[in-house]
Amino acid sequence: MKRNAIVFVALTVAIMAMLASGKYLDRSRRHGPVKLLGDVHGVPAPDFTLSSLDGNRVKLSDFRGKAVLLNFWATWCPPCKVEMPWFEDLQKQYGKDGLVVLGVAMDDSEPTMIAKFANELGVNYPVLLGTDKVSEDYGDVQYLPTTFYIARDGTIVDKMTGLLDRKDIEDAVKKTLTTSYKPAGMQQNEASAGIHSAAVAAIAGADSAR
Amino acid sequence: MRRVAKVGIGTLLLTGLLWAQGMGDKPPVIMAPVGNLQVKAGATKSVDLDFRIGSDFHINSHTPKSPLLIPTVLKLNAPEQVTVADLKYPTGQDVSFAFSPDEKLNVYSGDFTIDALLKVPANSRPGMYPVSGELRFQACDHSACYPPRSIPVQFQVTVVK
Repeated sequence: MKRNAIVFVALTVAIMAMLASGKYLDRSRRHGPVKLLGDVHGVPAPDFTLSSLDGNRVKLSDFRGKAVLLNFWATWCPPCKVEMPWFEDLQKQYGKDGLVVLGVAMDDSEPTMIAKFANELGVNYPVLLGTDKVSEDYGDVQYLPTTFYIARDGTIVDKMTGLLDRKDIEDAVKKTLTTSYKPAGMQQNEASAGIHSAAVAAIAGADSAR
Repeated sequence: MRRVAKVGIGTLLLTGLLWAQGMGDKPPVIMAPVGNLQVKAGATKSVDLDFRIGSDFHINSHTPKSPLLIPTVLKLNAPEQVTVADLKYPTGQDVSFAFSPDEKLNVYSGDFTIDALLKVPANSRPGMYPVSGELRFQACDHSACYPPRSIPVQFQVTVVK
């Protein structure tokens, strides 16, 4: 009887493990590995190259040494358009201190419509055209607005989801401008050697292996 | 003691199943099942398609106030024996949300019904015919929005003489 109970428990655990791993594998098969999950504080921000509304190719790692506010938004998201003028103001206020605002439009609309929308809100910071891959790399961004605050060394200081108070956003910007997860000397060495962080290399490796 | 252990394991298993099947993927809108639907050949019949929106959400109505907002749209594919002659969407509510107190959005929240008018040609043969399609919508809560998504809509029409 005791043996039956042990077998039952073992079977239960095995079924749960199979279900859980099946779900993970199914997701991996469909989307490839999800880069950011759970607590993202201090995690290297996945690098990307996206087209901007003015036709340029913009690479996140080109902004190494700057604090980056990376905002995912869409034209169909009313809360997103509340934040965008704030981001524009913050860019003007903290740009001289090293803040760069990048918008990523997760939109199926034509780029001309997205540009019109951004212009009407007075947005002058670069707006990039989002892709499924960048969404997946940043943890499957579904809920908009979602904003990542990325330190000068390329690591994520904070992730904020949904519309927040302007003060919370400004506090996050200030924190991002002053946060570094790596010793200053290490950043200097990396910059002079022209290499990215180990995580960016690992991501590139994962992409090539895919 | 053994019974307690079994109940505990059962609960654990059920929790695991629900988690593994992705409760987080549950759509914010669900459709109520459509009951037995009989229509005489040559007749028309109005069908209420009932939907329920999760309590924390709202979705744009069929006629949102901006072309950038994604309207709620029902698309139905009916067999030859049944025609969807008309769809009547409910009027949305004009609501201001905390994220934009000066702007009113036209939305559905709670329960809403789309009225589908079905026509069955006189020459339709008696039998059961499936009608299927999808409801496309875009949901938001009080501070954020989800991408547009669709849920399946299915019901059966029984044509009788």
